[in-house]
Amino acid sequence: MSLIDPRIHQVLDGELSRQSLPSELRPALERLEAAAGVLRSAMARRSVAAWVLAEIRRPRPGPMARLARWLIERHAITVSLRPTWSFAVAVLVAAVVLVPSHGTEGPILSAQEGIAQFVGRFPGARSVEVVGSFTDWRSGAIPLQDDDHDGVWQTEVVLPAGEHEYMFVVDGERWVADPLAGRYVDDGFGRQNAIIIVRPGDR
Amino acid sequence: MQAPEEPPDATVVARVLSGDAEAFGILIRRYEPALHRFATRMLGSADAAADAVAEGLVRAYRHLRSCREPARFRTWVYRIVANRCKSHLARRPSSDLSLDDLPPLPDPADNATALERAEQLMLVTRALGGLSAEKREAFVLKHVEGLSYEEMAAVTGARIPTLKMRVHRAREALLDTLKEYQ
Repeated sequence: MSLIDPRIHQVLDGELSRQSLPSELRPALERLEAAAGVLRSAMARRSVAAWVLAEIRRPRPGPMARLARWLIERHAITVSLRPTWSFAVAVLVAAVVLVPSHGTEGPILSAQEGIAQFVGRFPGARSVEVVGSFTDWRSGAIPLQDDDHDGVWQTEVVLPAGEHEYMFVVDGERWVADPLAGRYVDDGFGRQNAIIIVRPGDR
Repeated sequence: MQAPEEPPDATVVARVLSGDAEAFGILIRRYEPALHRFATRMLGSADAAADAVAEGLVRAYRHLRSCREPARFRTWVYRIVANRCKSHLARRPSSDLSLDDLPPLPDPADNATALERAEQLMLVTRALGGLSAEKREAFVLKHVEGLSYEEMAAVTGARIPTLKMRVHRAREALLDTLKEYQ
């Protein structure tokens, strides 16, 4: 890449008058200005105004509607147990694993779905939920549980395979990016959304 | 951009936040053409740009309360759409524009001026597509959208010296590419 005479940059940045530019430098200046002019030219476009206005007029579902939607959608159910129950659980799990079974364990996943596990440590929180691109950033659909009150909240849900952005919402008002997420993306408002990648058949 | 009799952005934002959702249409009409042009130059595809602008405007409406300086709604909404563009580019295997995204070849039935303009646009779009997404964004914001470096910093979150460097490098790369086609 060849360097441009700094005076051309200065003219384009409004730091130097055009008249003070030597004539041999003007063709490069004019070529860049012409390129920008071409890019500024009017273009045919499909207006999205009607769609956007329809979208923002559409009433957002209330808490009961969101609950109903959550109930009819498929979810993996996670049960947290106290340590004293762990032996019994281990025996039960061993029995299930060791005894031949013709059935399937866990939710039945299509080839385009996987299970996403969300875990966060929020001691003292009254509620924690996960919202993200998979809930259209609406809250109320996917609560996390902390049944043993140790401050570790978790849940598992079936999601379409692929990449999803998400945040935790603590006590219904504090938005927190998952500190354990491996990847983040700018959310457009100066903060970071966490990224989860769900692979088909993930369990 | 804004006719003298039209209310300023801060007034419109206040109306929307007080419950007049229809007033958001004023902001859409005011900024959609420029946002679409910006997104098209970033993504190289009018359809992808329309999606990015639509998603961006809906996000802007839903998060309008987080717009701390309503008088600067313009740079705020540019930032949202710029981030939608980056998300779109991140989903592509490469941030470069593909040849499929170039403007269509001019129709020989068009007149000579239109043909020449279409060829220029194709050439410049190709050169722009060869830049990294960051340099392309900096060049487009500066020279196509006419933002100041201060406004660009608000849109991108980058520091002004960094933005100047990106614009300078973009100019050099564009000039190199345009020379090759002369």
